[in-house]
Amino acid sequence: MRNMKRTIVFAAITASSALVLAGCSGSNADESTATGDPIVVASVNALSGAATFPEASAAAQAVFDEFNAAGGLDGRPIEYTALDDKGDPSAASSAARDAVESTNAVALVGSASLLDCEVNADYYEQSGIVSVQGTGVDPFCFSTPNISPTNAGPYLDTQLTLSYGSETLGLKKICGLLEIAGSTRAAYQEAFDNWTAATGKDFAMLDDTVPYGGSDYTPYVIKAKEAGCDAIYSNGVEPDAAGVLKAAEAQGMTDMTFLFLTSAYSAQFAEAASFVGKGVYVPAEFAPYTDESNEANSDWRALMEKHDVPLTSFAQGGYLAANNFIEMLKSMDGDITRETVTAAFKAQTEGYETPMAGTPWLFGPDDAHSSNTAGWPIVIEPGATTWSNAADTWVTAESFAK
Amino acid sequence: MPLVDTLFRSRRISPLVFGVVAVLVAFALSALLPTYLVYLAITAIVATIALLGLGIVTGTAGMIALCQLTFAAVGAWIVSLFTVLDVPGGYILWLVAGGVVAGLAGVVIGLPALRLRGVNLAVVTLGFAAAADATLLKTQFPGAPQGTKVPRPEGFLDDRGFFFFCAIVLVVIAVAVHYLQRSRFGSGWRSVAFSERGTASAGTSVRLAKLSAFAVSAAIAGIAGGLIAGQVGTAYPAGFSTIQSLALYVLAIVSGAYLIEMAVFGGILWVLIPELLKRFGIPQDWGFVVFGALGIQALTTNSNLGQDLRNALTKRRHRRGAGTSTGLVPLSDEAFEASLQASGSGSGSGKPLLTVTGLSVSFGQVKALQNVDLTVDEGAIVGLIGPNGAGKSTFVDAVAGFLPQHEGTVRLGGDALDGLPPHKRARLGLRRTFQQDRVPPSLTVGDYVAFIARGEAEPVAIAEVLAFIGCPPASTRIVNVDVGTRRLVEVAANLAAKPRLLVLDEPAAGLSHEEHVAFGQRLRMIPARYGTSILIIEHDLDLVRSVCSSITVLNFGAVLASGSQETVMNDPEVLKAYMGETEML
Amino acid sequence: MLQGALAGLAAGGVYAVIAVCLTLMAQLVKVINFSQAAIGMFGAFIAVMFAEADVPQGLAVFLGILCGVVLSGLIGWIIATWLPEASISARSAVTVASLLLLISMSYILFGTKPKTFRAIFPGPAFEVGGVVVSQVTVVMVALAIVVAIAAKVVLSKTGVGTTLRAIADRPVAAELMGVPVKPFAIGVWLVTGLIVAVAIAIVAPTQTSDAASLSLLVIPASAAALVGGFRRLDLAVIGGLGLGMLQGATAQFPELSLVRDWIPLVLIVVFLLWNQRKEVWDAAR
Repeated sequence: MRNMKRTIVFAAITASSALVLAGCSGSNADESTATGDPIVVASVNALSGAATFPEASAAAQAVFDEFNAAGGLDGRPIEYTALDDKGDPSAASSAARDAVESTNAVALVGSASLLDCEVNADYYEQSGIVSVQGTGVDPFCFSTPNISPTNAGPYLDTQLTLSYGSETLGLKKICGLLEIAGSTRAAYQEAFDNWTAATGKDFAMLDDTVPYGGSDYTPYVIKAKEAGCDAIYSNGVEPDAAGVLKAAEAQGMTDMTFLFLTSAYSAQFAEAASFVGKGVYVPAEFAPYTDESNEANSDWRALMEKHDVPLTSFAQGGYLAANNFIEMLKSMDGDITRETVTAAFKAQTEGYETPMAGTPWLFGPDDAHSSNTAGWPIVIEPGATTWSNAADTWVTAESFAK
Repeated sequence: MPLVDTLFRSRRISPLVFGVVAVLVAFALSALLPTYLVYLAITAIVATIALLGLGIVTGTAGMIALCQLTFAAVGAWIVSLFTVLDVPGGYILWLVAGGVVAGLAGVVIGLPALRLRGVNLAVVTLGFAAAADATLLKTQFPGAPQGTKVPRPEGFLDDRGFFFFCAIVLVVIAVAVHYLQRSRFGSGWRSVAFSERGTASAGTSVRLAKLSAFAVSAAIAGIAGGLIAGQVGTAYPAGFSTIQSLALYVLAIVSGAYLIEMAVFGGILWVLIPELLKRFGIPQDWGFVVFGALGIQALTTNSNLGQDLRNALTKRRHRRGAGTSTGLVPLSDEAFEASLQASGSGSGSGKPLLTVTGLSVSFGQVKALQNVDLTVDEGAIVGLIGPNGAGKSTFVDAVAGFLPQHEGTVRLGGDALDGLPPHKRARLGLRRTFQQDRVPPSLTVGDYVAFIARGEAEPVAIAEVLAFIGCPPASTRIVNVDVGTRRLVEVAANLAAKPRLLVLDEPAAGLSHEEHVAFGQRLRMIPARYGTSILIIEHDLDLVRSVCSSITVLNFGAVLASGSQETVMNDPEVLKAYMGETEML
Repeated sequence: MLQGALAGLAAGGVYAVIAVCLTLMAQLVKVINFSQAAIGMFGAFIAVMFAEADVPQGLAVFLGILCGVVLSGLIGWIIATWLPEASISARSAVTVASLLLLISMSYILFGTKPKTFRAIFPGPAFEVGGVVVSQVTVVMVALAIVVAIAAKVVLSKTGVGTTLRAIADRPVAAELMGVPVKPFAIGVWLVTGLIVAVAIAIVAPTQTSDAASLSLLVIPASAAALVGGFRRLDLAVIGGLGLGMLQGATAQFPELSLVRDWIPLVLIVVFLLWNQRKEVWDAAR
């Protein structure tokens, strides 16, 4: 019995310290001036675990707070719930059910997850709910009827970064270090094939067995060196891309160029990169936010800073998703229900333009949605610890077609 | 909990009744709960099933297994594969197949555990979890890249239906686990967790006990994995990660998952803690921090919530049922003579039963036993005495099969025992007791006797032998029995096995003088009553004198004297070497 | 092939250092410390936290290592206080729980973004016939060997070493003789915490610095320690370096991609079976 008491006390202490710590991190939002019946919106996000993307939903929250403070939709506020999928499929599917059945959301907006689309695409379709994904990663985000992401996604990004490397930078031998997580292999292959079809170039060496979240990438980097490559393409997320750079640094590969994806684009990444070879190139999915002179981002930047949301591509995606949703709401007449919202998105014919993205965002009736097809080339120059523009405008797959 | 306890107390029928009630409750819940809670409840049930399996390995058999979700992944993999191949039989059959294959995987991973124990097994299972994790991440589950969905069973298609289905699976598994735990298998697992030597001496193969625990645990995990595939629709490696296996192990420790209702409790915690964190807006990462902290707490205090609750209940019951004194009282001389006559006295056929010839054992340079000969005739009680360090216990170990590298031969009746492992010798009718306490405290007296007797004894016979030796009743939990009485229980249990020869290693240590006398009387009645001959090692010469017809004296690993009691006790060599030294009368 | 093997040597060095610590722990305080690498990870991440708060790098690393040492001592204190006579399994189970706790805690405290951590030993050290050997490789291999030799010398040649071995062999007897068993045990935890925190602080900036992958370095490391049967320090070092080189070499062949992950496990099983081919029973008698 004594032990049991101890256990309870122990649990209580742990729980209360968690509460205190969590309380510290809470930020106070703007007062909502909208008092009507709330419009309920949710999102499914990777908020805990080994890989987290909290900024997209935080940015969407900021947009909705601002919208509510300005009176909401004719006095109706938007009530936003960001759910955590823990990077766990079972948690992701229960989060989706929480959103649809408990929270009773009319739509999902600004989700950023590694597996939300893959796990839940069918369920969203069955439930007749649409998801305006903030950051889509897995292929199902770009190939299912009820999901339309604001970002371009790693596959198009791959095509762009490879095209930029082989065409604009004139790199002769590109080695690919491909990490496969989930069911992404075929989607990457399609991107490689598109690149080859458009430019006639191919990898000098492609290793698709690179471990996801591995600890030491030296053996793989060495393979690229032995293959005589002058550039390394890697699809790794931030820590893995950083790992590739670190391994190359230890091997003294100063002549190597690195072609990465938007997932490696963050100010922190540039700061952490003490070595970049002849440069790290990324086609940013949205207008590069590290370029403070870029007018396209000024509204977004002001809002993010006001709400203490870190400046990242994820935050851009979440911000755009929330704005697209509001724009759709404003265009709707009559009831705001899951059915009417879904119908409105499916009926969309005109894309929403924004200077933050290279192409207009569109939902529409198609069975697959991938409206963002542009990237803005940026680079970490040797010796630099910040990103700079490598071009002064967007590139698309078409820019490189011969 | 009292309800569960009451229901489980009368053993043979109640679990089934309880199972039926549980299924009905589940049906009501599946109809009444909000859909989201139903979905969460599926997760809780799946976790409960995995915990039930884990409870067998960690709680019952005392091994550290850190790859429970990897076994679940095997089950999910089979179900996914069968979906892609469209194997006839449907989901339910695939689920069973997943369990079977996971069980086989458990055998393969458990094979090293036959030789290895404890913490090494933890290293192996952790390595297995990590390797499988990395491999699954690369290969994916069959059909996952194409988005193939695992079909739920007909009639249980929606979440509510599938919840009900999972609940039925849980009840079936829980009832099965309950009976397994109560069976000889279950006693074997508990026994092996407490002492491998004790297990082998009971005629139970230590390897089989460990391997069966591992295989059953893995098979149950495999079924849980198949359910996860059905729940989510597709299996993903992220659902079976190493970290989650670690968390599940810790949860099994915290909840005490070898108790069925506590596995349910653990499964509820598995979803309740994240859900509470969500309600309070606390990051989900705190969930595993809480598990980790509770795990450290449970391990350092050597307690868990389940056992605490059960202890609280059984204590109360014991207060009601009064104490557990030994019933070992001496008979009057007349009564003793009478019962000796009644059980058909006479010292057996006189044919040699145990024949040990030229037994030598050396540990490195030290010669523990040199060329020892000893014979025990059928129906005889033979004493083996000698000063400390004379090699008495080494002799017992060698005869019982624990020192396979010995020289010389050991025969029991017509059987040559040389080269046989301990459990085979035990099955041929050679039983032994230990100087150290080898009675697993987690069993009841009755379960222990039934386990040691290997199905030789009916409840009536068990009660009879317990009463004969003066042990507490069969329903008493051994944890509530003092160490001296545990030795008597050990003797009684081995008697119940009706061995041809029973080797007792200092059985009377810790008994009072009265009890000594009474114990001696009982010993003399054993050969006629149970057809068992006895070789007894004892320091107490009073006891030896009163029961043994012949005596062998060991000194410095060699036989100093051997023969009838009078001859040996009057041998001047013996007096000089042994009597003069210690425990002079 | 050779290039690959040498590339794996840096990882092998880490395995070896952790394996040496695991062996020392198993021998001296009777625990297989599953949170060994996680302790080092925690120290390294705290160093990053300080560095990000503009503490000079040297000081930040020092503070981080100090935190790793304290953390290790804390776990050691918990085990020494509440489980002084428990079996090695029960003690090790505590470290499984603390491994889980440390990984989750690091997600909360340090996030999952890449750490802005400058390498202490950046770049290549030398090149032999076109094969580059990085500074980290040299440092890690040297550290592993130095730690193993130093431990051996301390244990066999000094009074402290004799006391430690006495405690390990006969804790009760040592206690009766008036040896302060608990402080010595915690001392072992502190020292291994220090070694592993230094090792991870050196290696983390040159690798993928993510909490789970750093913490699970303990798996290949325990494979290496098993080569020495958790007894021999020299074999632990050789096992660690060999395992790293083997993994590096196999990484050169994509067709061996799946096999590569299973190398530590196969190594673990083979060596366990070999080491314990004669040991049959749990208790001596």
